[in-house]
Amino acid sequence: MRSRIAALLVTLLASAMPTAALAQAKFKLKPGAGGQACLECHGAFADQLRKASVHTPVKAKECTGCHNPHASDHKALLGADPSRSCLACHAMVPEGAKSVHQPAAEVRCTGCHDPHASPNKFNLVKPAGELCASCHAKLTQAAAKAGAKHRPVEQGCTTCHDPHASTSAPHVLKKAVPALCVGCHKVDKPVFAKRHFGYDVSKSDCVSCHDPHGSSRRGLLYDKVHSPVAKGMCSQCHQAPGSAAGFQPKQAGVPLCQTCHGPKVAQILSKNRVHAAALAGDACLECHSPHASKVKGLLRAEPARTCGSCHGDTMRRTAAAASKHQPVADGDCTSCHDPHSGDAPLLFAKASVLDTCGGCHDWLKHASHPMGEKVKDPRNRNLRVDCLSCHRGHGTGYKKMLLNATQTEMCTKCHEKYQR
Amino acid sequence: MPRDWKISIGFAALLAAATARAQAPVLTHTVSIYEDEKGQPLKAPEGVACGDGERLVVADTGNGRLLRLLYRNGVVSGGTPLVLSQLPYPVRLQLDGQGVLWVLDRKVRRIGRVDASGAFAGYLEVKGVPPESVVPGAFKLDAGGNVYLLDLAGVRALVLDASGAVQRQLDLPKKPAFFTDLAVDPAGTVYAVDASGGAVWSAPKAAKAFTLLAKGLKDNMSFPGSLTVSRGRLYVVDQNGDGVVVLGLDGTYQGRQLGIGWSEGLVYYPGQLCLDEGGSAFLADRYNNRVQIFSMKK
Repeated sequence: MRSRIAALLVTLLASAMPTAALAQAKFKLKPGAGGQACLECHGAFADQLRKASVHTPVKAKECTGCHNPHASDHKALLGADPSRSCLACHAMVPEGAKSVHQPAAEVRCTGCHDPHASPNKFNLVKPAGELCASCHAKLTQAAAKAGAKHRPVEQGCTTCHDPHASTSAPHVLKKAVPALCVGCHKVDKPVFAKRHFGYDVSKSDCVSCHDPHGSSRRGLLYDKVHSPVAKGMCSQCHQAPGSAAGFQPKQAGVPLCQTCHGPKVAQILSKNRVHAAALAGDACLECHSPHASKVKGLLRAEPARTCGSCHGDTMRRTAAAASKHQPVADGDCTSCHDPHSGDAPLLFAKASVLDTCGGCHDWLKHASHPMGEKVKDPRNRNLRVDCLSCHRGHGTGYKKMLLNATQTEMCTKCHEKYQR
Repeated sequence: MPRDWKISIGFAALLAAATARAQAPVLTHTVSIYEDEKGQPLKAPEGVACGDGERLVVADTGNGRLLRLLYRNGVVSGGTPLVLSQLPYPVRLQLDGQGVLWVLDRKVRRIGRVDASGAFAGYLEVKGVPPESVVPGAFKLDAGGNVYLLDLAGVRALVLDASGAVQRQLDLPKKPAFFTDLAVDPAGTVYAVDASGGAVWSAPKAAKAFTLLAKGLKDNMSFPGSLTVSRGRLYVVDQNGDGVVVLGLDGTYQGRQLGIGWSEGLVYYPGQLCLDEGGSAFLADRYNNRVQIFSMKK
């Protein structure tokens, strides 16, 4: 037992020692010999040392802090796997982090940082804003074009986000909303209350109405705003300002939405099959934002993401398919499906498969394999031949979304006499 | 505990698991039901009830009717249609011990009862919670006449007595989980299947909440739509993955059967599965417009 404790202490002490010092001892280098010896061959590397931001071991010319001068199983003669080399000194993702930036989660440190030196702060490979935009281009372009800009965005992404991980909030935010927002926006100021129609929104989810990255609308509201919000008629859905119930809605679920969207709700509920999401839990709010959204129809996210939050299996299968149906590739589920309800199978928006496909494909009008109500499927007497007899609507591993690898294999499933 | 004992116990557990897996029943197609007694084809049937002697009832959902049949010695007979205005779109069925057929109707979003003569015997009225707050997504009956109701709106399982009075409420996890069916075993343990997460939750008879029984099954079941418990196993119908997944009551994966297709023995967006005491499995093969009957051989 004592020997175990001793070993543990040695390990702890070793891990506490600077990597460079360990390397110095490991390679029995003469004091000061490390980097100087390397520069004799790697002379061009001296330029690195003149850059504005130089990695500490490089500045100390302790090349052996990361590299093995003799041989290595890793690229660039690194002393360890590249991910482990960085983690030896920089534990950037704390245990139990609530959200982690993808490159940090995958320990792809060199995606953002130059391990030697850089003209940019923190050894970033590009200036910070430009670096974030290299992956988050859609977001940064929209923010740049926004008529109403949020000042922290102009100051840089790291004003609100931690580039590595967050222990307290999603989206690698430094704090969760609204704590992050109220750090700058003083909720006790009269103007704040006035702009929120007298409601105490200090504990509300600010980003359910406001786009923190910028917007073309006044007050940084998302582009698509629910009509009562746009008109400042919050009390149409919420209890009156100052009421004991706070900011609670007057009713929960469908009945509240029904007060304005009665005909639409009635039409949805009149169908044989109502999409379970429209009945479950928060009903309409499962998919729609009650306040504002970036997406048409006040959807909480792009259609594919909204649908994929329950139908992840379909999304994964489709993503893996070699041939995809164009609307599926575009994430436009509602091209074929009614997201609310329907009488047709699979919540198709049209009565039959042929009607659904015929909306875009006019094969039946000129030349096609016989299809329709009069054409029985030889495999099953209760089926008629339609597009889905040979294709899958989302996509398959084979060309043209066919069910089989070759046309022969597929056709002979019905035309058995041609089987070889 | 001595090390060799641990090894022996571990080996025995592995052997037992392997044996259980090896003994998981195999579904072998015997016969299919395609039409009623007058030859009208089935259309998108979603439900099937069995287990009351030789009686078999099909929810011929797309045709908005029920079909009453007999299944004896591997032969299906009958097929008398029953159209009830109160149950225009039946999707889930179960026969109780008194021969009453319980029907979940997706259009009216209520559970109705049909007596042995085929007459509508009223809707189940849920008492003890605001009725408008309940949207049934699935239900099961136990031998004692209790009703286990999956409430989509409340995201919970309600245990009701035969009169509809709430006896117990078991909350289910909310989004991203999405529950499509529940089942109850003879010991009173309630199981619920999360289609979105590929997980099964369970609550023993005295439990006040569900606990996770099996997770990470998404690779084995794409979007489970129906759950049945029989003889110490859970049978999960994988609606979007076109198959039946067999789990132990402890959630262990024991195998997957059937596959997508249009010929007999294959399925296309299957619905409810019913298992009878005689070792037959009845599966509503929804978008193949038929009900398939399988024998369950080990």
